[in-house]
Amino acid sequence: MLERPQGQKSGRLASAARIGIGGPVGSGKTALIERLIPELQARDVDFAVVTNDLVTREDAERLRRSGLIDPERVSAVEAGACPHTVIREDPTLNMAAGDDLEVRFPGLELVIFESGGDNLASTFSLDLVDWWMFVIDVAGGDDIPRKKGPGVLKCDLLIVNKVDLAPHVGVDLPGMLEEAQRARGERPVVAINARSGEGVDTVADMICRAVLFRP
Amino acid sequence: MLMIERVLGSRLEPAFHERIHRLEHSGGVDVVTVSTVDMPRRRLRLVSARGEDLAIALPRDQKLFDGAVLLLDEDRAIVVRAEVERWLSFQPRSIAEGVELGYHAGNLHWRIRFAGERLLVALEGPIEGYYARIDALPGVASIPRIVVTGEMAA
Ligand SMILES: Nc1nc2c(ncn2[C@@H]2O[C@H](COP(=O)(O)OP(=O)(O)OP(=O)(O)O)[C@@H](O)[C@H]2O)c(=O)[nH]1
Ligand SMILES: [Mg+2]
Repeated sequence: MLERPQGQKSGRLASAARIGIGGPVGSGKTALIERLIPELQARDVDFAVVTNDLVTREDAERLRRSGLIDPERVSAVEAGACPHTVIREDPTLNMAAGDDLEVRFPGLELVIFESGGDNLASTFSLDLVDWWMFVIDVAGGDDIPRKKGPGVLKCDLLIVNKVDLAPHVGVDLPGMLEEAQRARGERPVVAINARSGEGVDTVADMICRAVLFRP
Repeated sequence: MLMIERVLGSRLEPAFHERIHRLEHSGGVDVVTVSTVDMPRRRLRLVSARGEDLAIALPRDQKLFDGAVLLLDEDRAIVVRAEVERWLSFQPRSIAEGVELGYHAGNLHWRIRFAGERLLVALEGPIEGYYARIDALPGVASIPRIVVTGEMAA
């Protein structure tokens, strides 16, 4: 049950929640979004996506053409050479893209920002997002959690993607997950396969709980 | 779950000061402690000292701060308290010790501050984790150190 203090208008929330998805190049950030779309739709979440690409708008085009989401609900920010600057040091371009989506879609509840692929040190500014996840993949090597990059340590949710590849790249998946969990203490780690969709429902539930205050 | 969609103001503002003071006497002031990590967030779920489950969703132009009033009515107020930041304060006794400490603090990506001849390391997790690192570095472990809180670290 949602209760509101006296004198505060009920109705829609102050503004749409904003979440970030960061991680190294090719770890599966866009693939995760493609799998999250139907999960969020099934949960009746009104959402939109902002992608950050280096110089092209490839990820935005890929999502627009996917047929999964109204193409108008996908915006692109061209990040230039340093993808982390537009999510951390100067996120104004992304903030403007989020504001624009909120104006165009009244009732919007959630905006998802995909960062351009970067390195293990990239983090999101909490001026831009309320909550963010970091996607690493099994094929990147099981020593990634041990390197304790700021992205791995500071994110609100660490996602280990491409679990299907573990046997093919000689990675000890349970060991990698254990190491990741040890590095993060009590903060969550989730293993997924963004190809098949395995584990993505858990991610959708966590988003709903953390920033949309669903049960 | 209680939805908080804006900060009403600071408890120090004349408009709130008196009323909150009165509520304090009748035991009507509830406090929600916010960690340094959570303070910049606009949307988060926190439980107050009295067990109220708060769903905070502030507009983009507002932020939480120490003393922010989240709720104020006839018999109750909810006010933010910033978790006091703790620092490990090192006092090197020689330039050699200072240089070695500075080198390792940088290597470990610790968030630090300088205070005259002291070097302060922000405790962003359990202190045992910091001691484990320090114990592995004899040149650092031997430097006198104490834990200080926000005000004392200034
Ligand atoms: N086997 C397997 N392949 C995956 C999985 N997730 C993504 N991929 C593949 O990995 C490649 C990169 O995926 P993307 O979703 O484009 O990765 P990204 O992180 O968005 O990449 P950038 O935006 O360029 O940094 C694609 O070929 C995907 O099909 C997975 O769980 N398993
Ligand atoms: Mg992508």
